[in-house]
Amino acid sequence: MTPQDLISKAAAALRLSRQERQDLFTKAAEALRLTRQDRQDLTTKAAGVLRLRREDLIRIVHVLIVVVVGVCVFAVIASAPGWGATHALLGIHEAPNAGTTSAPLTVDQAKNILNRDFAASYLGQTTSGSASEAALRTAYTDQGLRGADGRVKLASVQPAASTSPLLVPHPQLLAVSRGFGYPRFIVAQTVTTDGSLPILHLLVSPDVATPYRISMSVEMVPPATVKPFDVLPSGSPLVTSGTGLAVAPDTLLNLYAAHMAFPAKAASKSPFEADSFSDQVRAGAAAASSAVASQATFTQTHTVAPNSVYAVRQADGDALVFGVLVRTDSFAVKSDQNVSTAANKAFVLLTGKKVITKSASITTLEFVIFAVPQSGGQSTLVAAREQVVAGSGS
Amino acid sequence: MPVSTRRALGAVVAALGIVFVALGAWMVVILGPSGEAQFSATSKAPGAVVIPPEVLNAVDVPVQITATRPDGGSVSIETAPSNDARAILANSAVTTASAVHFPDGALDLHASGAGALTDLSRSDIWRLAAKSPGSAQLMVDQSKAPETAVVTSGDATDLGDVTVTLTWANRGWFFEALAVATIGAVLAVFALNDLWQGRALAVRSDVGETKTSEAAV
Repeated sequence: MTPQDLISKAAAALRLSRQERQDLFTKAAEALRLTRQDRQDLTTKAAGVLRLRREDLIRIVHVLIVVVVGVCVFAVIASAPGWGATHALLGIHEAPNAGTTSAPLTVDQAKNILNRDFAASYLGQTTSGSASEAALRTAYTDQGLRGADGRVKLASVQPAASTSPLLVPHPQLLAVSRGFGYPRFIVAQTVTTDGSLPILHLLVSPDVATPYRISMSVEMVPPATVKPFDVLPSGSPLVTSGTGLAVAPDTLLNLYAAHMAFPAKAASKSPFEADSFSDQVRAGAAAASSAVASQATFTQTHTVAPNSVYAVRQADGDALVFGVLVRTDSFAVKSDQNVSTAANKAFVLLTGKKVITKSASITTLEFVIFAVPQSGGQSTLVAAREQVVAGSGS
Repeated sequence: MPVSTRRALGAVVAALGIVFVALGAWMVVILGPSGEAQFSATSKAPGAVVIPPEVLNAVDVPVQITATRPDGGSVSIETAPSNDARAILANSAVTTASAVHFPDGALDLHASGAGALTDLSRSDIWRLAAKSPGSAQLMVDQSKAPETAVVTSGDATDLGDVTVTLTWANRGWFFEALAVATIGAVLAVFALNDLWQGRALAVRSDVGETKTSEAAV
C-alpha cells in the first residue's frame, strides 16, 4: 500500500469532502516528499559524522537490520516450544504405540522367573515346616500348589520327587504369552541328565499384581514330542475358545474325564487317541474294585478342575492344551465289614486311619497335556502325571 | 534475476544463516561436549512418581533416571510396559511427569489419585529395576518402548519427598548442533558478502548511468 492509498482511506474514514480530501492529499504528498529529502540529507550528514561514504553507511545499516532480524527470529524460535526447533534438534518425538503382537516379557525376564520358581520349588521340597510351606506358595499356584503339598506330605511313602525341576539347572523356555491381556503364561521344558522323562512346565500369572507361579509340572509320555511355538519375542497366543481347533479344549478334557470313569460308561467316538496313562488308570480302578469286591463297592469319577484349562497356540496352528482332572476313588463299605487300609500307606498318612467301616475316599490330581490339531484328526496325550492329595475315611 | 530480488533473497539467506549460527551455538553451549540434557523436579506428594512413555520414550537414546530421597530411605526405580504399569497403579496416588522443558531443565509434575500403593515388588511386570538407599539410578534403553518408569520406596510405603532427574545423553547432539552453527555461519558469510558486493555494484552502475546521460546532453 502506497502512502497515497493510506491517506485516501484515512480521508474516507474521516468522511471528508472531495475538496478537503484533495487538499489533504496534496499537502500530505508534499510532506512525504520533504521527509524523503530530509532523510537523504540526514543519511549524508550521518555518514559525514562517521567519516564514511553514504553508500557504506547504508550497507552497514542493511547488514545490521539483517542481523537483528536473524537474532529476533532465533529468539522467537528458541522461546516458543510449540515451534519445535530445539525438539527437532534433540529428536524428541511422540512415544510409539504398544504392539499387540509382542510378548510382555523379555527372554531374560522369563528365565529369571523360571529360576526363581524352580529354586523355591526345590526349597519347598527339601525343607520342612513353615519354610517349606512358604517356599511352595512362592513356587506353585492353584492345583499345582495342591499337588506339591500332597507330594511333600507323602514324601516318606512315595518315591523321591523325580520331577523336581531343580534337578535340571537350565530349563528350556518354549513359549511366553502374546499381548498384554491376562492370564499370562510361560511354557518351559526340563530334560534331566539321568535319562528320566522330559518334564513340561506351565507357569501362570492371573493378573498384573500376581507373579508367575508353577501351575503344573508334568512328565512327557513317550514317544510324544512338542511342536515349536512362535518365536519368543512375539509370544504365543492363548486359545480362549475352540475356534480353529479340531476340538475345544474344555470339551476335550471333559470327554477324557468321562472316558476314564469307573464303572465305565458308554462313550461316543473319542476326539483323542488311546494312551498308556488312561489305560493304567482304568486298569488300576478295575484291580481296586476286584480287590475289595467282597467288602466294599468301589467307584471312580474324574472331573475337570475349575479354571485349570489353558490352550497355547503353536506355530503351525495346532495347540498344546493343559488341564487338571480331579479323580475321586470312593469305597462304600458293605455292612458288617471292616476294611484294613494298612497296605495303602498314603491313605494312612493322609487320614490316620488303618481300618474303615463305612466309607473312604481318596482324591488324586491328574495333570494332563494334549496336542490338539488345528483341524481333523485326534488329539494326542503328550504328558501326564498323577498326585494323591487328600483322603478321608470313617 | 533482478537486482532487487537477488538482494532480498540474500537478506533472507543471511538472516537464516544467523538464526542457524545462534541456534547451533546456543545448543553447543547448553548440551556441552557430552551432549547431555537434564530435566529435574521434586515431588512432595504421597505415592509413586511415574514417568510415562510420553516422556521416557520421547527420544531414541537411553534415558538415565536418578531418584534421590533426602531422608536416605530406600528408593526403587522400575520400568514396565506402559499398559501394565497403568493397570497396577490404577487405584493409587501417583505423581506423573507430564512434560520436559528444554533448555530450562524443568520437569512438569502433577499429582492424581488417592489410593494406597500396592506392593509393586511382587509383580513380574518389571523389565528393569534398581533399588538403593538414598539414591538410585537406572538406565532405560528404548528397545521395549512404550514403557513407564515408576519410582517408589520399594514396598507399599509412600515416597514423601523425592527428586527425580532424567538425563538424555547423546554425543551426536553436540556435533549436530556444531554442524548447524557451522552451516549457518557459512550461509551468513556468503549471503552478507553477496549483499555487500551487490550494493557496491549497484552504486557503480548508478554512477555509470549518470555519466552517460551527462555526455548525451
